[in-house]
Amino acid sequence: MNMLNEISQKLQQGNAKAVKELVQQAVDEGCEVTAILEEGLMAGMDIVGEKFKNNEIYVPEVLIAARAMNAGTELLKPLLSSSGIKAKGKVVLGTVKGDMHDIGKNLVRMMMEGKGLEVIDLGIDVPSEKFVEVAEKENAQIIACSALLTTTMNEMKKIVDAASEAGIRENVTIMVGGAPVTDNFRESIGADIYKPDAASAADAAVQACQAR
Amino acid sequence: MNSLERVKLTLQHQTADHVPVYPLINSISRKYLGIDYATWTQNTELCAESIIKATDLLNVDAVCSLVDLSVEAADFGQKIEYPKNRAAHPDSNNRRIKSIADYKTIEPVNPRKTPRMSEHIRLCDKLVKAKGREKAIIGFVFAPLGVLSMLRGPQDIFMDVIDDPDAVHLALEAVTKTLIEYTTALMETGIHAIMLDTLYASQSIMSKQMWNSLEGPYVQRLAEHIHAHDCMVMIHNCGNGIYFDVQIERMNPEAISFLHLPDDCRSFAELKNKYGRKTTLIGHVDPSFLMSATAEQVEQECKKQIDAYKKDGGFILATGCEYPANAADDNAKVMVKTAQTYGRY
Repeated sequence: MNMLNEISQKLQQGNAKAVKELVQQAVDEGCEVTAILEEGLMAGMDIVGEKFKNNEIYVPEVLIAARAMNAGTELLKPLLSSSGIKAKGKVVLGTVKGDMHDIGKNLVRMMMEGKGLEVIDLGIDVPSEKFVEVAEKENAQIIACSALLTTTMNEMKKIVDAASEAGIRENVTIMVGGAPVTDNFRESIGADIYKPDAASAADAAVQACQAR
Repeated sequence: MNSLERVKLTLQHQTADHVPVYPLINSISRKYLGIDYATWTQNTELCAESIIKATDLLNVDAVCSLVDLSVEAADFGQKIEYPKNRAAHPDSNNRRIKSIADYKTIEPVNPRKTPRMSEHIRLCDKLVKAKGREKAIIGFVFAPLGVLSMLRGPQDIFMDVIDDPDAVHLALEAVTKTLIEYTTALMETGIHAIMLDTLYASQSIMSKQMWNSLEGPYVQRLAEHIHAHDCMVMIHNCGNGIYFDVQIERMNPEAISFLHLPDDCRSFAELKNKYGRKTTLIGHVDPSFLMSATAEQVEQECKKQIDAYKKDGGFILATGCEYPANAADDNAKVMVKTAQTYGRY
């Protein structure tokens, strides 16, 4: 098994220690940084995402795989920035104001990062103005917001309105997600994309960035 | 026929006068007294008064004691926040279990003496005394893994179950011992059923095998304990692809409250055919749909579900999860009216 394939395999198993060691070994042996990232780590996370989408694996397995991915990318980060490699797009992500749930939002972040997107994670309980302010400042292509409660999902409409008021609505794709959110709801508030799971959301985000 | 008789016949898989109806209206009941969420959660007298008032005004067939999901966790030492406009929840920056090593510090507590569970017992007592002769009274209890996730945080516990399952099991044992005593005290109030919220028993979170080995043995003990006291066991789970089969095997529940189809069913008809005789189906109008649906749309959805499930009893029309806490009660009224008219046998 070649080393990049082994990195992918160990990532899928959630073995952070092995991933870290293999990535270091690959770097030491002169392997291209982009190859380690794309053919090792991201390839592994792609398989994790597909299996998650197909209900072959579930949240615990995805979480430990993402932890393994982080162990690898932490080693690569300084090398990637010095080689001038750019992300596929920039996303401002957060759970809406009044909502403290973060696991769904975190899964989306992990999947998006696994697809090569730069994600600015604003955390939980994020006011609508904050999403827009950061998106504008960072020139992000996507605002992605999560809500798990029927009491907080209407905050998403405020984000759409705030983006319009700030004059950036046409420059940014607004994605919505979370247990009570549906495509009908997305349509009713004028957001752009709804996806029912984290892996599909990451795929859609990459497509949206490429389309801009 | 009163509500209790209606629900009783339905649970026995016989036909009553009409399909019983219970939108989970607990949290909107606070509006009838004009109190905020924090007050409603922490003042047992007002909480009971509002639930009773909502039950009467909306003429629903059951009363559930669901207040929020942090009742049990609070008494294990989890710091809880009580916002005015939404449900109480753990302080996510200050979890009781901060590392895997902390699981072993979780020990059984006496729910009759701890602040929130003792108040919940008192709430059930008030509900039974006020409505127990005419309505089905259901005590709501968060299942052990749910309680533990409130103490640790869901993301961390889901990794811990892979990293160190023995540590998690140790704490699940302590929580279960507490819940056995808690359900005993709840049953002493005279409630008719206990609804266990098995939040993680669905494809939304973990595999069937993982749930069955992780939480299965504990909920089985709880269910056996409840049944041994001649009380009914109900399950609530609003996840996608809920695991009906293993939960029925573990708990033999009289009823299951659900939002989405089970993992092994593709249609309403398949669900009724596969599980309709094994348990009573409680559900499953989507609360987020109720937030924006017109009265006509709600009526149509209720009729669709009544058509699919009402045959030979064994069906209670309900929301699949709690009725939207900040919504008007109009669509709850539509649900009740549709069950009482279109749902007639």
